[in-house]
Amino acid sequence: MKLSFELNGRPVEWEVEPAQSLLELLRQRGLKSVKWGCGQGDCGSCTVLVDGQTMRSCLLLAAQVQGRSVTTAEGLAAGGRLHPLQQSFLEAGAVQCGYCTPGMLLAAKSLLDEIPQPDADQVAEALDGNLCRCTGYKKIIEAVLLAAGGQST
Amino acid sequence: MLANVETCHYPHSPEQVVQLLQGKHQRILLLAGGTTASLSSDEKITDLVDLTRLGLEGIEASDGGWRLGATARLQQLASHPGLRRYAGGLVAEAAAAVGSRPIRNMATVGGNAVQVFRWSDPPVAYLALGAEFELLGPRGQRLLGADEFYRRHPRRQLERAEILTAVLLPAAGAAGRGAFIKLSRTSFDLAMASAAVWLQAGGGGIERARLVVGGMRTLPFRCRDAERLLAGKKPTPTLLERLAQRVAEEVPATADVRTSESYRRRLAGVAARRVVRTAWERLSLEKQP
Repeated sequence: MKLSFELNGRPVEWEVEPAQSLLELLRQRGLKSVKWGCGQGDCGSCTVLVDGQTMRSCLLLAAQVQGRSVTTAEGLAAGGRLHPLQQSFLEAGAVQCGYCTPGMLLAAKSLLDEIPQPDADQVAEALDGNLCRCTGYKKIIEAVLLAAGGQST
Repeated sequence: MLANVETCHYPHSPEQVVQLLQGKHQRILLLAGGTTASLSSDEKITDLVDLTRLGLEGIEASDGGWRLGATARLQQLASHPGLRRYAGGLVAEAAAAVGSRPIRNMATVGGNAVQVFRWSDPPVAYLALGAEFELLGPRGQRLLGADEFYRRHPRRQLERAEILTAVLLPAAGAAGRGAFIKLSRTSFDLAMASAAVWLQAGGGGIERARLVVGGMRTLPFRCRDAERLLAGKKPTPTLLERLAQRVAEEVPATADVRTSESYRRRLAGVAARRVVRTAWERLSLEKQP
C-alpha cells in the first residue's frame, strides 16, 4: 500500500507492507538511529515521536502512521548544528555505548516540548521505560536538565 | 508478523467500521493502539482497520460522570485533572499503572478494555466503579454494565460486527471514593496482582463497597464475600486483616512464571487491604472541616 506521512518535517510517500513494523521500515529506509533492542516494547531503544508523543516503533505497524508526523533522532540536528539536547548529552557525558541514546533524546524532547523547565523527578518520569545499561541514568538526567537551561550538578 | 495483510482501511466514523465488519470476504484485524496487534502472527488476516480517526478520542464530562472515548490513550486518562479527582482518582491510578509512558501513549481505552489480559489494570477499576460499556453494531447502540461485560471475555460479549465506542463512568461514582493498586516486580512490569475498590460512606462506616481483584485469571474478579464483610463497618486494622484473609480465600488465583498460586493469593489479600484503607482515608479526609 501507499503510505504518506511526514518524516522529520518532510512529506514522504512510500510503497510499504501495511503490517510491517515501523521500526523495520525506518531501518530499511536508512534511518538507523532507530534501534532494534527487545522488539516487544520493553526497552525503549526504538522510541520515535508520533505527532509529538513517544511511541514504540517496534509495536507500531507501518499503516498506523498514515498521515501522521514521525520524528526520529535524524530529525533533531538542523542546519549542521546539533540539537541542544544532543549538545548537552555530549557535555554531560550522558552517552556511553550509545544504543539507548536516540530513544532517550526523543523522550527528552517530548518532555521539553511539553514542560520546558522540568525538575529531576519529571525528567526521570519522562525517561521511564527507556533502559540504559551503561550510565546509571544520572548523567542522562543531568543532560536533560542542562538542555532545559538548568544547572548541571 | 501478519504475513498476508494486503490493505489498511481508515474509516472516519464508528458506523463505517460496523459496515466494514459486515463485509464477507476479508478477515479483519482492528487496530487501535496496536500494542498487541503488532505481536500477532495470524496468517488469515487480510485487512487492517485503523480505529484512531473515528472521533472517539475524547474524555468528556457527562451528567456528573465521565465518557471515555474508545480511542482515548491511557496516558490521557492517567494525566486528566478531572479523572484524578473523580471518585478518589482510581481510574487515573489504574491507567498510570500500565506499562511505561510510551506504551500508555499508544494503548487505548477500547483496546485495553476489550482485549483484556490477566494483568490488565483499568478493567479492574471499571468493574469496581460499575462502569458501563457503550457498544455499536448493525442493530444499533446498546449499553452493558461492567458486571455483565466482564462476565465472560469481552471479545465473546461483542456480537458480530459490533465495536466498543466508549466506557461510561457513572455519576454515582462521584458520591464515593476509590483506590487502585498494582503489585508488580518493577514499576512497568505486568501486575502479579492488583486491586480496586469503590466505597460509599454511611452511618459512620462503609455503606456500600465494590471490591475487585486483578491478575488472577483473564477477567477481573469481584470479591463478593469480602464486600459483605465490609458492609456497615469501619475498616479497623482487625477488620482489614480479616478482609485480606477472606480475599485470599475467595480469589481464583493461578500460578505463572511470575508467582506461585499461594503467593498470588497472599498478594491479592494485601492489595485488597491497601486499597480499602486508602479509599477509606480518602473518604474520611474529605469529611473533616
